[in-house]
Amino acid sequence: MSVDTSVDLGGIALRNPVLTASGTFGYGTEFAPFLDLTRIGGFVAKSLTLAPRSGNLPTRIHETASGMLNAIGLENVGVEAFVAEKLPQIPSGVPVVASIFGTAPAEYAEVCKRLSGVPQVAGIEINASCPHVKAGGIEFGQNPELLAGLVRECRGATALPLLVKLSPNVTSIAEMARVAEGEGADALALINTLQALEVDVETRRPVLRNVLGGLSGPAILPVALRMVFQASQAVKIPLCGIGGIMSGTDAVKFLLCGATAVQVGTASYLDPAAAGRVAEGLESYCRRHGVAAVRDLVGALELP
Amino acid sequence: MTNPAFAPLRTSAEVVANECDGETGRRLRLRVSGWPGSEPGQFVMLSPGPQSSVPRTDPLLPRPMAIYRSLPAGDAFEVLYKIVGRGTALLAGAKPGDRLALVGPLGRGFAPPGPNEHALLVGGGTGTASLLEQAARAAASGRATVMLGARTADDLIGVPEFRALDVDLQLATEDGSEGHPGRVTELLAKVLAGRGSPVVYACGPTPMMRAAAELARQHGVPCRVSLENPMACGFGVCLGCAAPLATGGFALVCRDGPVFDACAVDWDQLA
Repeated sequence: MSVDTSVDLGGIALRNPVLTASGTFGYGTEFAPFLDLTRIGGFVAKSLTLAPRSGNLPTRIHETASGMLNAIGLENVGVEAFVAEKLPQIPSGVPVVASIFGTAPAEYAEVCKRLSGVPQVAGIEINASCPHVKAGGIEFGQNPELLAGLVRECRGATALPLLVKLSPNVTSIAEMARVAEGEGADALALINTLQALEVDVETRRPVLRNVLGGLSGPAILPVALRMVFQASQAVKIPLCGIGGIMSGTDAVKFLLCGATAVQVGTASYLDPAAAGRVAEGLESYCRRHGVAAVRDLVGALELP
Repeated sequence: MTNPAFAPLRTSAEVVANECDGETGRRLRLRVSGWPGSEPGQFVMLSPGPQSSVPRTDPLLPRPMAIYRSLPAGDAFEVLYKIVGRGTALLAGAKPGDRLALVGPLGRGFAPPGPNEHALLVGGGTGTASLLEQAARAAASGRATVMLGARTADDLIGVPEFRALDVDLQLATEDGSEGHPGRVTELLAKVLAGRGSPVVYACGPTPMMRAAAELARQHGVPCRVSLENPMACGFGVCLGCAAPLATGGFALVCRDGPVFDACAVDWDQLA
């Protein structure tokens, strides 16, 4: 049987619901030897700032139980170089979502404006939740008033589909989801990494130079599922589920809990074709279970 | 960028052999269908332990491993490693016929030695594995002095293959159980004190590479180092392996290296 895998993520038409997560997929070009980008729904590029940024001193990453910590520091080429040098290398027909970051709402809005009208940019994802830079990021994602102001400013700066990526480091994910929806977000992406710390007992130092980092990988999947489930009950706009997805069946879990699409993150490090595998696994699950359209799985969790 | 002559594969490698090498080392021989070959100093990312039908989540990340030597068959090569943690312990359990997820060959290796160059190759611990093919190339086009160091004689790896090359091989152990008692960079200091204008190649623990770089600088000779920063992907996206540069900013060990001119590295900030 053929499965209809297409979904609409807040105005972004995707051939299948599997995207790749910002910060884990570079600018897409790095994957050319390993993965045909037309096999996936699209990708979210590494967060862009107005000016290029060079990131944190090492050590930047550390493996943990079923996951990893990172504190890269939003190293990126800047929005101008992305538009001029990176985008032209992406095959046409691959939806590109540009993730954006700034230290003030006006800076985010500037990046939004620069990306609006660029043909291959299908949407913008606001990174309101990077837990390992000194200014910005975490404050927006953790404070409802700040988040509202940020989304409002970006909404006013672009007509492109606007995704807001939520921080999991909050007391109520439902409240933050409602705030973003109320300010005109077209979709929500969740979760970003969980703020975390690991220690080397021999040196009695944190393993990361930045002290704190973001935890990702399969270790966080159940936390992410819980938050997607709660957000889906709080808002009507579509959700993009993120957190430890390694396989097609992991993606199915997120859809059942209310996500319309998913993003594959850390898995792309250990298998650069992971997102393609997830898309195929999702489709084969549908065939196995007689599901005619992937979107029929969205929110189809059977509750006791 | 990876060397376009050796386009990297994302594939699975067949374990041909996985044996003890010396007292503490391990030698893993892999066969990879369609293997493009590699240049001296390149590396692969290997899954920690054999692949099974269910993806492994713990340990999660692949391990970067230097390509020790390509084998004449063309589709096979060896890596040397030591059991230092959970990932390498699982790797040690891989049996002939098992398959390991592999991405590679990756990185930029060593530039070919100049004609009649006198290459001084300094290896510490498993860093030794990055140097064999460059030593062979240098021995063929000029001459090579190879200095290998480890904590004890039992910790030395790869000695038979280096001995089989037409090189001047010198060993050092910190406990004095083999060769020069002390650090391998003390051997380098002696060789550099002689005449000539050699080129230094170093791979090993960061303090060793830094000491080699400093000696080379004092003698005004070029020094190339192969860095071993932790990395999650190996192909330029995790940005975990960033090495601070003397001119400011960062280079990625996986994409821009692992081989760097020692003068380009900010050794004070390199973790």
